[in-house]
Amino acid sequence: MEPLMESFTTELRRGTLTLAVLSQLRTPQYGYSLVQRLEKAGVAIEQSTLYPLLRRLEKQALLTSSWDTTESRPRKYYVISEYGSDIYEQLKKEWETMTAELKTLLEGDENDEAD
Amino acid sequence: MKLIEAYIYEVTRRLPEKLREDIALELRSTIEDMLPEHFSEDEVKEALSKLGDPAHLAASYRDTPMHVIGPKVYDAYLWTMKMIVPWAILITILVHVVETIVLFSGEESILSVVIKSIGIIIANIIHVLIQTFFWVTIVFIFIERIGLAKSNGSITTYGSEWTPEQLKYVHVISKKKVIPRSEIIFGLVWTAIWVVLYFNADRLAGVYRSSDGDGLQMVMPALNQSVLMSYLPIVLPFALLEIGLALFKWKERQWTMKLVAINAVSKVVSLTVFIVIASNPALINEAMIPYLANVLEINSSSVQNFIDWAVWTIIATIIVTVAIEIYDSYRKAKA
Repeated sequence: MEPLMESFTTELRRGTLTLAVLSQLRTPQYGYSLVQRLEKAGVAIEQSTLYPLLRRLEKQALLTSSWDTTESRPRKYYVISEYGSDIYEQLKKEWETMTAELKTLLEGDENDEAD
Repeated sequence: MKLIEAYIYEVTRRLPEKLREDIALELRSTIEDMLPEHFSEDEVKEALSKLGDPAHLAASYRDTPMHVIGPKVYDAYLWTMKMIVPWAILITILVHVVETIVLFSGEESILSVVIKSIGIIIANIIHVLIQTFFWVTIVFIFIERIGLAKSNGSITTYGSEWTPEQLKYVHVISKKKVIPRSEIIFGLVWTAIWVVLYFNADRLAGVYRSSDGDGLQMVMPALNQSVLMSYLPIVLPFALLEIGLALFKWKERQWTMKLVAINAVSKVVSLTVFIVIASNPALINEAMIPYLANVLEINSSSVQNFIDWAVWTIIATIIVTVAIEIYDSYRKAKA
């Protein structure tokens, strides 16, 4: 991808990643399991973006974390908090409105061209 | 395993101490998750290259900004610089000019003192500018990282978050009316030089003569310092008035009719004072006339005529200059 296009795409995706991550954390997930879930859904996220994002969301009290040391290797599990769920619902609504609005705009564009 | 340890070290050494352990643990388990049961070195390399440059990863963990002066405070930073730098230059020049005049002993020729001074002033200005940039930048880095970086709005030149209210204080100045800052600074320096000259006239203004190839030396002062000093009660208030006026111009930044009027009154009155002082016959050092008559081999009354003529030429020149300046400011204010 040419660099300009890449920067546009990154910009477009940046805000949606939070939404994607929050959507997957209703059950506790550790870092790598989350990567896999997202990948399976077709959402490509750099791991170097994901882990700092998880920490930031935890710091903002949207997530809570806990270490599970019962298995052979310790894993840090993240799960959405009550406050996080609130935010998630609001964000989701916002996203739905936005995509609907944009859809109208973009379709209008196509119709204009057809005229 | 060594590669993983090295990678984790490379990330965590860039992070604050208290985060290191936790992030190291998390990273290690993540990397191991990415690898199959029995992994080869190539597989480790592949996993690590997925995580990317450790410096980048560390940077994205940090909350503090990577830039030194961020967009939040950049405006305020620039504004502060613009405010401080002209004053720093002005004060540097002034201090040096005053110091040189006060310390002037007449042993060196004026020309060489002036040339030397210009060199010293330029060096001092560079020094002061470096200091200013350094310290102001330090303060703003501090603000960026600790103080105001936490608030979401940017720090405007008004020192608080931006609101439309601030638009009220924005001066929209037309280019024709604007008073250049350089002009004001020059005016201040000019005033300061005249004040210093006034107090030191007996040591600076006079007849200079080259003796023994030793450069110029003052033979006798041209003016009578005690007569000059007797006008101090009038001169000093006007010097202060000039400075006040310059500060007022600095604040207004443009010619207004009010400023034109105050400026004109101030100029006319100080011109009057100047004429009164200059026309005092006792002002010229009495010893000057016979001395000049002797040197120039003409009679004393010719010398006296010449001095009178010189004084009135100077006065006429100043009147014309002041008139032009007043008219010019009026024209700008009307534009």
